[in-house]
Formats: sequence, structure tokens, C-alpha cells
Amino acid sequence: MKETVFSVVKKNGWTFLVGPAFKMIEAVFDLLIPLVMKAVLDLSFSSDPSSVDTVSHAFGDFLRLFGTWVEGNDPLNYALIGGTLILLMGIVGLATTMVCQYIAALSATRTGTDLRDRLYRKILSLGKKEREGFGEGKLMTVLNSDSFQVQQGVLFFIRLGVRAPFIILGSLVLSLVLNWPIGLVFLAIIPVILLIVFLVMRRASRQYLVIQGRLDQLSVATSDSLEGARVIRAFSTMEEERKKFAARTSTYQDESIRVSRINALINPLTFAIVSLATILVVFLGSFDMASGVEMMGQKVLPSTILTLVSYLSQIFQTLILLTNLVTIFTKTIVSWKRCNSLLALSPAIADSPKGLVRSIGENQDLFALSDVSFAYEEGGNKALQDVSFTLRKGESLGIIGGTGSGKTTLIRLLERLLDPTEGTILYKGVDLRDYSLKALRREIAFVPQKSILFKGTIRSNMQMAKEDVTDEEILRCLSVSCARDFVESYPDRLDHEVEEGGKNFSGGQRQRLAMARTFLRRPEVLILDDSTSALDLLTDKRVRDNLRDFLPGATKVFISQRVSTIKDCDLILVLEGGKVLAMGDHASLLRTSEVYRETYESQMQKEALE
Amino acid sequence: MTTKELLKRYLLRQKGRIVLSFLSVLVFLLAQLSQPLLVGSSLDAVGRIQDGVFLLDVDSRLLVLYLSLALALAILGVIFDYLFEYSIGVLTQNVVKEIRDDVFRKLMAVPIRTIDERKHGDLLQLEIQDVENISTGLASVFKQLVQGVLSILITIAMMFTVNWILALSVILLSPLSLFASRFVATFSHRHFKSQSALMSDLNALSLEAVGNLETLQSLEYEERSAEEFERRDERLRREGKVAQFAASWTNPTTRFVNNTIYAIVGIAGIVMILYTASVPLLSMTMGKLTSFLSYTNEYTKPFNEISSVFAEFETARFSFHRVRDFLSSPEDVDEGRKDLSGPIEDIAFDHLTFAYEEGQSLIEDFCQVVHRGEKVAIVGPTGAGKTTLINLLMRFYDPVSGAIEFNGVDSREIPKKQLRSNFGMVLQDTWIFSGTIRENVRYARPESSDEEVEEACRAAHADAFIRTLPHGYDTFVSGKGGLSEGERQLLTIARVMLAKPDVVILDEATSNVDTRTEKLITDGFDRILVGKTSIVIAHRLSTIQKADLILVLKDGNVIEKGTHESLLRLHGFYYDLYTSQFR
Repeated sequence: MKETVFSVVKKNGWTFLVGPAFKMIEAVFDLLIPLVMKAVLDLSFSSDPSSVDTVSHAFGDFLRLFGTWVEGNDPLNYALIGGTLILLMGIVGLATTMVCQYIAALSATRTGTDLRDRLYRKILSLGKKEREGFGEGKLMTVLNSDSFQVQQGVLFFIRLGVRAPFIILGSLVLSLVLNWPIGLVFLAIIPVILLIVFLVMRRASRQYLVIQGRLDQLSVATSDSLEGARVIRAFSTMEEERKKFAARTSTYQDESIRVSRINALINPLTFAIVSLATILVVFLGSFDMASGVEMMGQKVLPSTILTLVSYLSQIFQTLILLTNLVTIFTKTIVSWKRCNSLLALSPAIADSPKGLVRSIGENQDLFALSDVSFAYEEGGNKALQDVSFTLRKGESLGIIGGTGSGKTTLIRLLERLLDPTEGTILYKGVDLRDYSLKALRREIAFVPQKSILFKGTIRSNMQMAKEDVTDEEILRCLSVSCARDFVESYPDRLDHEVEEGGKNFSGGQRQRLAMARTFLRRPEVLILDDSTSALDLLTDKRVRDNLRDFLPGATKVFISQRVSTIKDCDLILVLEGGKVLAMGDHASLLRTSEVYRETYESQMQKEALE
Repeated sequence: MTTKELLKRYLLRQKGRIVLSFLSVLVFLLAQLSQPLLVGSSLDAVGRIQDGVFLLDVDSRLLVLYLSLALALAILGVIFDYLFEYSIGVLTQNVVKEIRDDVFRKLMAVPIRTIDERKHGDLLQLEIQDVENISTGLASVFKQLVQGVLSILITIAMMFTVNWILALSVILLSPLSLFASRFVATFSHRHFKSQSALMSDLNALSLEAVGNLETLQSLEYEERSAEEFERRDERLRREGKVAQFAASWTNPTTRFVNNTIYAIVGIAGIVMILYTASVPLLSMTMGKLTSFLSYTNEYTKPFNEISSVFAEFETARFSFHRVRDFLSSPEDVDEGRKDLSGPIEDIAFDHLTFAYEEGQSLIEDFCQVVHRGEKVAIVGPTGAGKTTLINLLMRFYDPVSGAIEFNGVDSREIPKKQLRSNFGMVLQDTWIFSGTIRENVRYARPESSDEEVEEACRAAHADAFIRTLPHGYDTFVSGKGGLSEGERQLLTIARVMLAKPDVVILDEATSNVDTRTEKLITDGFDRILVGKTSIVIAHRLSTIQKADLILVLKDGNVIEKGTHESLLRLHGFYYDLYTSQFR
């Protein structure tokens, strides 16, 4: 089944009915309280029940149901009963609201967490291509920010999504019932306020985007200056930098002030409209009363004006709330869509239904590539063109080439992180695409150029490769990657802390630890992508020698810009611009390939010293 | 400087605006809060209660007077409300600009050590987010707090003019509202704090995983990572549920308290109309009750808003503390007074010892003299502290003991600006700021002409690639994108070409650069070194063989020094390093 945000939200679908239902009880009470107050006023101050309007009359009838003691018509009785009633409604309203608030919190956090878990699993399943297509930064925003926005949306929908419109409509209806000509004033102001708030908010939100952009610029400028701290001091240009920055903050200041000039309109304008409406209500009401004419058969009492004024203030407060709510929902819709677009991604490299698994003997063909080409974009430049070679099990392969030569693309194809655009790759005699992806991931291990360590301890990093690994095995692999000495020099050895990104290790130490972690998997095929670039030549060579003894039967692939790293390989590919320029072993390449020879000679002159 | 003093300094400069906004809000509130009184009075001009019955007794002159007064005051209120809101906006932004500029000035003034030791993200946060927090806090203090407190005070005064008994009872009831919202705020604040801690924990986990997904996938760690994520997410859910629930009490509780007060005031008012209408000080009318019920609403509203400000206020205070701490951190002192007369003839390292952290010496008792025109190469494995020497030469750091002397003058006695103007450096981490190519190169010597800039670029072999860019020298480049690593390096070489310094400091590393660019860069390096005193972190054999002095650094110590030949004869570490390529 395809996952969407809706399918996640639907799981707690009941909360969207039950929550608002509880809330409505309170909302109804909130609407009734001014009416009760009005009835009490009317009944208290009229000796003639017929002089009250229909609403209060009905209330009087209702009260009389409770007993005969109201009959005495002592005004105090009405007041006491009315007061008690309002208090009771308040208590019941508070209780039911709390139920709704709890349901809202429950539903929202469940939805948020559930959504985040799914998003995270989805991200983990994606390949590089889908991630880059979606945007790496956006992935994180969707996971950590949009999911919370959806959660917020659910929370406020249950809490207020039904209540706010209900209160506004209810106040409107009740004021029309009380006195429809005056109620028309209400009908007129609601759209006006909504329109003003909408217009101002639209202007402001556009302006906010501009401000956000300016703030980003400030951030970039600060970041620039932090990174260039040494250069700035070297050229003693601190004063110039300061002036440039001050000019930027001035622009930011101007834009921000422009926003407040617009934003500052909302409160005064709504205040103006509500004041105007109140004055109008009082004027019309007083006029009706004074003239004694029952306008359109509607009776106006002083209590009517009081009640209308209090509905007016209720409408006003709820409208403000509603506009905040609209902002929240607008953001939620955007986030909702973004979450959906992430959930809709599916990894391009999928496990084949055939799911073949093979095992082959020494010297049989492990990889056989014929005319393999690859383009990152359809019809775009080929990152790799017509590559053909065969690699037998147990052999070692060296790939050399400059930046952009296609080295990394080639190994991504071998690992099946990408599928070739043209040509075929046979792995153990079957098409790589038919091979079980799970088995493939287990058989092929890869150490990237930028070695990654995770926050935790050295041991926890090693356990990532193999959950139940023993200390002995770890130490063995650390020796292979020449990392054991420095690890054992720490008093806490394997429990030594690894900071985020392995920052507390040097580049060379990180590479050695990352290699050890991969060695723990004892893979059939080991790919080292410039994984020893930060090691000096002596250590680099020691690691390669150790590896030969540690994984004797494994096929090893070395990618490097250094000839010395790959020169002992059984097969060396020289790549340039996505094409295989030459292949063979070191000795034959020195004879046949000019590029290889030049690279070798120029490097011999520089490498020794690093 | 204490927080108070700093805040005072910023606010004093906005004295005028503060007074203006204070006065405007006062006028606005008076105008706004007199409305209920006028509405009530209008009603009383229509009729009154007599013997428990409402009697019409219209005073149309008064009625019109009250209503037009209300209208006039409403207009006045609108104008001053706008003035208030707008001047708060300006005021806040003025303060924000000053703080930002101050923080930036400080960033430029602190020693490099401060920048090295604090994370860039942390300093960035200070300049961007913390200042934003202060701005939000400042705006809400003025808007909600000042307006809220004033509004409460004025409402109280208004209520007393209407009826003092009811006013007194509302005030007595108000702690109820205050207490309720305070209680909710503290309770939910605690949970929100732990919620946001859990949230950033979850963020860190996912950031690490997503940023390194390839590694994670290659280790087949996805399932375990997902489980870990779900475990933490579940913790977040539980905490979040409590936090959200607690926070959602505010509105219903306040509504409840308001309704209660409304009921009590309403009933008490009715009773008073019925029984005390004739008592002079307690007289109560229909109109007064209407006014009073409105005031009750107005009175309770700010409590809610004020309590919601506390969270923002806390955040702002925290951020302001951070800013203050940073602003009062020590600056780079430049006590240099001696003039470095003429070009640098010799550089003497005199028993130089240096450690970033006490007890972990990176350079110990290093003595050496470098003469004008000499070439010094530093070699050694990564992390041996090669860049430390550069830090000391440029006086980014000062030695723990011993000294570096230029022309016999201790470097600490030379003004930094003068000292540094003698150096040109090309570092491995190139620095290109967001701006045009021309601006970036000219940075080395701001007064140079366009021709000089282009000539420097030609000399650095950068001209060719610059001309292929869409706008040539005026192409905009940004800190990270746009140019390849090699091209960036060429631009920094061009900078040095333009500055024509006496001493060149070079980090030769050209890893991750394709062969052709590498040739250009190497050639560029060779050109800037001609005839200059140079200190090179060497990666190329040619540099080393031609060097007048080679320093071999390992674990922070100079273990061997001499010329290429003398070091080879030594059969030591250098010998091993050099010969390893032939094995």
C-alpha cells in the first residue's frame, strides 16, 4: 500500500470526531452564557413577563420547570439560579474541553511520531540519486520540521478548527435571532475584518520572505568572515569587513521596518472596525428604544444591547484566533505536501524479483562488464562510456584517474548503487540486476573516500558493522588497518569516545578506523575509494600488505589518485573523461600508456613527503 | 559589563522612541478603554431602572454626545495604536542592528584562538539566531508586557469610577486568573524544555545518519538505525504529549475563570441594581453593568498574554546573556609599538616553544635563523603541527616561551598590521568570499587598479579560466559553490601576486585537483616564490630539493633539519619518507 500523510493521520481518525464533539459542548455553553445573563436581567427587571422578548421568555419557562419557588417572582431568585447555571456550564465546559485538549495532544503526537518514523525509514531506503533529486537539505527539513508542522496542524485542527468557526457563526446567528436588523451589522463586519487581516497578512508574508532572504545573506556573510578569519587578519581588513557588514545590517533593518509598517496596521484597523460596530449597535439600539417603534417586530431592550456588545467582543477575539489558525493551516498544507512527496519516492535500485544468489570458485569471472555507459541525466553527458573489462575472483583491481574521470561512477555501478544506462554488468555470471540486493550488499563492502565515524565510542562504531563482534575481532581488524597502536594508547581503549563526525580524530586516524570497521564484515569484494589518502605512504603500504594476509581470497578494488597505491594490482584501469584510456598491469601500462607514465613520474616527485 | 548595563546602553540610545511609544500606548489605551464607559453611559441616557422596572427616559442630547465622543476617541485610538506598533518595530530593529554590528565588530577583534576554539556554528548562532531571539523578546516585552500592565492599571481605574464594590471584588478575584495561567505556564514550560532537548537529540541522530547514508547502507545498519530513531521518537512523543496537553490548559482555564468572574460580576450587579440603586456611592444602572461586564473581559485578557510572553522572554534573556558574554570576552591586544624598519632581512626563531593546550607542546625549544631570500620547507606526516609555525609567524597565536624576531625585533613588539603586511599566504583551505572575482583578488590590496588585478591574475595563470566565466572578472562567486578547488587556489595565488609581500607562506597541498590545474598551480607557486623569503609546507620533491632548509616535523617536534642532501645522509625519518616511494 502506498503511504501518504493521510494514511498516517487516518489511523487516529476517531480523534477528529470525538475531540471536536467534546469541544462543542463548551462552545455551546460559551454562546449561551450571554443569553442566560440577558434572561436573568430581563426577568429581574420586568413585572410583566409579556414585556420580555421571546428568548428570555422561553428561559423563564425553562426555569419554572424546576419548581414553584421561582414562581414568587422574586428577582433575586432569577439572579441566583442564573449565576449558578453559568458557573455550572463553566465547570462542565472546562471538563469537556480538557477531554478534547487531551485527545488533541494524543492524536497530534501520535501522528507526528508515526509520520516521522515512516519518513525516516523511507529516507534510509533511498539511493543517492533519489536523495540528490529531492535535495539533501530538504530531506532533513521534511523529517525534522515538516513532520512537526503536520503535528501542529492536527493539534490545532482538533482543538480549534471546529470551535472557532462555530463560535463566529453561532454569535452571528444568535445576534440575528435577538434582533436581525442590528444583527446585520455583525454580518457586515465579519467579512471586512477577515479581508483586512488577509490582505495585510499576504503583504507581510511576502515581505517576510524577503526578510528571510536578507537574514540568510547575513548568515552567509558571517560565515564567510568566520572562515576567512585568518585571511582577514592577515590583510588587516577588519575595518572594511565591519563596514560591509554594517551596510548589510542596515538593509536588513530597512526591510524589517518596512514589514512592521504593514504589520502595525492589523491591530488598529480591527480595533477601528469593532469600535465602529459597537457604536453602531448602541446607536441603532438606543434609537429603536427611544422611538419606541418595534422595528420589524423586533423588541429592543437594554439587555439586548448588552448581549450584542458581548457577542461582538466574542466574535472579535475569535476572529483574531482564526487568522492565526489560518496561518498554521496554510503552513501545514505546505508541509503535508512536502511529506507526501518524500513518502512517494521509491528507490530506483530495487531488489529484483529473481533475487539470485551464487557462489563461485577462485579464478572464475567475478565481474564482467561489456560496453557499460552511464549518464546521470537522461540524454545528458555520459559520466562513463563504453567500459569493458573482466575481473576474476581473488584478483585486485586498481582504478586511477583525475577528478571527473568517472572513477566513483564506476564503483557505484559495481556496487549497484546505480544501474548502467547501456551495456551489462555480469556478477558471478548473472546480470547484476537479477542478483539479490541484500546478498550483494553483504558480499561487497566499501570504504568511501571521506571516512565517516558516528558519535559514540570506538566499539559502538565497530559494532555497526557486526552487532555481536568480540573485542578480539575488533583488535584484529584494527591491527590490519594500522589503527591498533593509537587505539591502545588511549587509557579507555575501545571505549574511547568518538565525537560527532569523528572530529576528535585526525583524518588519517578516521580513515584507519573506518577501514577496520569494514574489514570486520570480511567481505568477498572490498572496495577502497581513496580510503588511504590521508595516510603517509609507509602506512598505506602496510595496510595493503596486512590486507593481503587478512582477506586472502577477497577481490579488492582500489581507487586512488596515487599510483603507488594501485601499482601492485593485477589489473589497472586508467580513466579519463569517463573512458578507459588504458588497462593492464603496472609494468605494461608504463610501456603502453603515456598518461599513466607521466602521472607516475610526476607523483614520484611529490608523494614521498606527505 | 553586566547584562543590565549593556541593555541600558542599547535602550538609552532609543530614549526618544521609548518615550514616544510609551505615550502613544497610553493615549491608545485611554481611548480604547473609555469606550465601554461611553457605551454604558449611552444606555443610561436612554432610560433607567426604577422600582425593578426599566423606564424609558431618553436624553437625546447626551446620547448623541456620548456616541460622538466614542467615535472621536476610536479614531484617536486607531492613530495612536498605529504609532505605537510602528515605533516598537523601529525601536526593536534599531537595537537589533546595533547588537549585530557590535557582535560582528567583536568577531573581527577577538583573537584567532577564540574562533578556532568555538564552533563556527556556535558563533553564527550568536550573530543570527540569538539576535533574532532578542528582537522577538524585546518586541513582546514592549507590546505584551508594557501594554498589558498599562491596560490592567487603566481598566482598574475605569472600574473604580463605575462601581468600587464590583471593582474591588474583581481585583480580589484576579489572583485566580494570574495563578492559573502562571501555573500552566511553568508546568508546560518544563515539559517543553525537555521536549526540545529530545527534539535536538533526534535531529542530531537523523542528521548524522542522513548525512552519511551511504556508509550506513553499506554497513547494513538501516534497520538498527530506524529502531534507534523510533525509540527516541517514542520518548519524544510521550514528552510532547504532556507538553502539548499542559500548554493547552491555558485558554480553557482562563475562559473558565473569566466566565466565573463574569457570572459573579453580573449577578452581583443585578443585585445591586435591585437593592442599592438609591445609595449614592453604590448606585448601579443598566449602563454601568454593561460597561462593567466589558471591563471584566478587558481586565482578564492581558493576564493570558503576559504569561505567554514569559517563554519568549526567557529565550531572549538567555540569548542576551550569550551575546553579553561574547561581547565582554577579551580582544586581541596589539601592544606592538616598534617600527619594523625596512623589509624583513631575517627571521629568527629563538628557543621557541608553543602549546595549544598546556602540557602538550607542539613545538619545543626551536631555534633557527632564516635570511632574506631563503626557502624553508616543512615536511612531515599529517597532524604533525606544520600549520602551527604559520600561526606563530603571523601572530595568530603567541609563543608560550621564546620568541620570533624580525630584524632583531621581537614579533610581539611590532604592530600586527605592519607585521602581517609583510606576509602573503596561500593556505590549503582557500578563502573565497561571496563577491565578484575582481573583488576577491583585489582584497589583497584594495587600492589597486583593474589592470593590476588582471596582471596579477595573468601571473597566477588564473586569467585564462576567469575569461571563460560568464561575466569574466565580474562573475559573482560564493563561498562554497561556483569554482573548483583548483580555481579557488589560483585566485588566492593571484592575491599574493598582487600584494607583493616580502615573505610568502605556502601550503602546497593540491590534493583532489586534476593534473592540468595542478600543473598551473605548481607553476603559480614557483612564480610567487621567486626572490622571496618563503616558508613552505612542502608536498613536492622539487620544493624540497631546492630548499635552503628542510624542517622535518613529527609529533610536533622538529626531529631533523638540514638540506636535502644532509638529511639523506642522516638515514633517519626523512630518508625513510623519501625512499618509501621507490620500494
